[in-house]
Amino acid sequence: MFTTGSKLLFGASGASLVGTLLYGILVGGIMGTVGLVSLTAGLIFLAGINAFIRDANVAADEVAQFSGSAAAAPRPASSVWPIGVAVGGVLIALGVVIHAVLTVIGLVVVLAAAAEWLLQGWAEGASSDESHNREVRGRLAYTAEMPVAAAIGLGLIIFMFSRVMLGVPTKSSTIIAFSIVATIVLFGGAMISRARSMSAPKMFGLFSIVSVVLLAGGAVAGLNGEREIEEHHTTAHYAELDKCGEEEISADEHASQTVAGKANSSAEVTLDENGLSFTRPGLNDPQTGVIQLPRSNANNILFRNETSEPRRFIAELAEVEGSPARICTALVEEGGVQLLTINYAAPSFDPAVEESGGYAFVVAGLDDRIEVVVP
Amino acid sequence: MSHQRVHDRTMSTSADSTSSLKIMSSRGRKAASTVAGLSALTLLAGCATDAPQDTWKPAGANAQKIQDLQWPVFLTAGIVGVIVMVFIAVCVVKFRDRGQPIPDQAHGKAWLEYLFIAIPAVILAAIAIPTVGVVMALNDTDDTECVINVTGQQWWWEYDYEVGADGTICGYAPSEVSASPIITSGQLVIPADTKVLLRGTSRDVIHSYWIPRLNGKRDMVPGRVHFLRLESDTPGIYAGQCTEFCGLSHANMRMETVVLEPADFQKWLDNELEPYQAPAEGSLAAEGETTFIAQCSRCHQVNGLVDPNNGNLVVSYPDQFVYSGAAPNLTNLMGRNTFAGATWDLLTPECRADVWEANPEEFGDKYLAGVSQDCLNEIDLREWLRNAPAKKPMYADPALLEQSDGKVRGMPYLGLSEDQIDQLIAYLLERK
Repeated sequence: MFTTGSKLLFGASGASLVGTLLYGILVGGIMGTVGLVSLTAGLIFLAGINAFIRDANVAADEVAQFSGSAAAAPRPASSVWPIGVAVGGVLIALGVVIHAVLTVIGLVVVLAAAAEWLLQGWAEGASSDESHNREVRGRLAYTAEMPVAAAIGLGLIIFMFSRVMLGVPTKSSTIIAFSIVATIVLFGGAMISRARSMSAPKMFGLFSIVSVVLLAGGAVAGLNGEREIEEHHTTAHYAELDKCGEEEISADEHASQTVAGKANSSAEVTLDENGLSFTRPGLNDPQTGVIQLPRSNANNILFRNETSEPRRFIAELAEVEGSPARICTALVEEGGVQLLTINYAAPSFDPAVEESGGYAFVVAGLDDRIEVVVP
Repeated sequence: MSHQRVHDRTMSTSADSTSSLKIMSSRGRKAASTVAGLSALTLLAGCATDAPQDTWKPAGANAQKIQDLQWPVFLTAGIVGVIVMVFIAVCVVKFRDRGQPIPDQAHGKAWLEYLFIAIPAVILAAIAIPTVGVVMALNDTDDTECVINVTGQQWWWEYDYEVGADGTICGYAPSEVSASPIITSGQLVIPADTKVLLRGTSRDVIHSYWIPRLNGKRDMVPGRVHFLRLESDTPGIYAGQCTEFCGLSHANMRMETVVLEPADFQKWLDNELEPYQAPAEGSLAAEGETTFIAQCSRCHQVNGLVDPNNGNLVVSYPDQFVYSGAAPNLTNLMGRNTFAGATWDLLTPECRADVWEANPEEFGDKYLAGVSQDCLNEIDLREWLRNAPAKKPMYADPALLEQSDGKVRGMPYLGLSEDQIDQLIAYLLERK
């Protein structure tokens, strides 16, 4: 028969052994492995010694001494807290070699489990009435245990639910979300209406089943990984300053996601089989040749590629001090739209602007050109 | 309760309470007189004839649509308001406390409650249907004939006339030169009987454009593009004011829309596009040109101005000095009648009245005459040049410009001497 102290040490040894094996196989590393092996060996040694001396109690065959000794007192009730302390210890050790967060978690677990263990031991000796002892313990412990347990439970539910939602396709997640909300509403209503007629064990069983399903679903979804989530870059991500050469940076047909910019464009420039044309808000007829844009203001220019070739839209800005010579989009796929926001600081009649060729909109690889006049 | 009982109860009140009631009655009469007097004054204010921003005097198709809607709405609201007030007054007077017993309390009268729900619902529905129609009609831009860019900034409006694909501005081709963009400020000039679309935005904070006699308000938000239709068949000047609080001088951010007959608009257009005329050598205006280049041209553009010292075109860079990045273009300053965000007139009161009160047939000629030496409101212009921030509150103190990266909002104090002011006025008088 193992004594209580031996259970703790053997448990810690087992957990340490498992941790050592996991670390050795999954992580590797000589120092870590040696450290964990040493820890395991040390724990096994202590466990053996403790089992041999039976928690330093007097020998059980000395009846007279035994009955009068402290060891003759009633045995403490079974407890999970030694395992908790052991698990915490292993986490501390693992954290030292894997990640500091594990150490912190292990420390918290050790302290919490040790506190619970001490409290349980104290409560069991409070009186000879076991029910009274349990009540005493409960009064002290529940104020801390209940909120922590609720927080952990809620966190687990949210985390597992999020894993499920991130694991299923977008449409399915919407359906699931609404189904769950509807279920909660209906189920909650039913529970309220039948609260008095439903026994506590039934309620507990029901919640347990729901919890297990949720935990299992979360675990499965978590292992399967998140669904592929498309990233919508803004055009600011794609637009380049003065790097409008041949390098290939493609933007797909969803490149422009800046809704506000698209809804408030100064002009929409379209490239199709007829070349470059533009429309201005308020006048819907397509125009070519010359476009007039205001000075010292943000001009949102939408470029729409209606050709089958990926094209790069370039705003020639003239080499005026303090501004780049040009700004351009990435290569825009067929049907793609990108947005450039341009602020012209100098008017187009500025000699410096005129000397450098003036402002213009062009498309790389094409001769088409829209002259930009900034009054 | 019978009258006899009321009479009995009244007779039984004490002498003290009668005296108290008399005092209260006297005070009540005084209060009622005060309220009546103030109400009468308010009503009389509505009879003002010099009310250039009167929403009840539409001068264009868009404002007329609003007028046609607001009349029945205000009439209905007024009738309902009067009925309610009279009803309340009757109840207050007839059923006031005379010490009579509280009457029987009955809960509700279903048919009356349904009626009181149905009547407002019907009224609101009747108002909503034409309101939605007018809102949609005011936003219809399919038949636009002229687009003008309007940009607000603290505390003035810039107007930017685009050259269309056909080489015209608002359908008008210049008589002698090829069309080029026109930039002006303060006064928006539009041709009569033309569906003009303002394409508006802002360079700094939210402003709101409102010419009450031509259309409703439209906010101008930085980074966004907004539309407002203006149209009038009556030549004249229509005043407006920024209606979105936009900072220290919001109250001084005004604007005017000038409606010209087509022939007059053509003249205005031709004048705006005339090449720059340098002042005569040795004149006070020529000295003013030099002063302008030295003191003003960093922010204010005069198209075609060439520095006589080096022959270079003078280009302004307001983006380096002004928070909004813009300052009014002064190419044809004296061709318009206002300055400093249309807050002050460039014309003397007499000359201004002559233009503002001109009949539609004569208005064009009088407006296009611009500002002459005799009609120049030199007092305000001189004060402005002497110390602009003292005349119009602005953020222009160099010591307080940390938040705007050292850039001013509004016109700063330039420290001009009286001689320089004389020179500048002489130079600006030729800008028309």
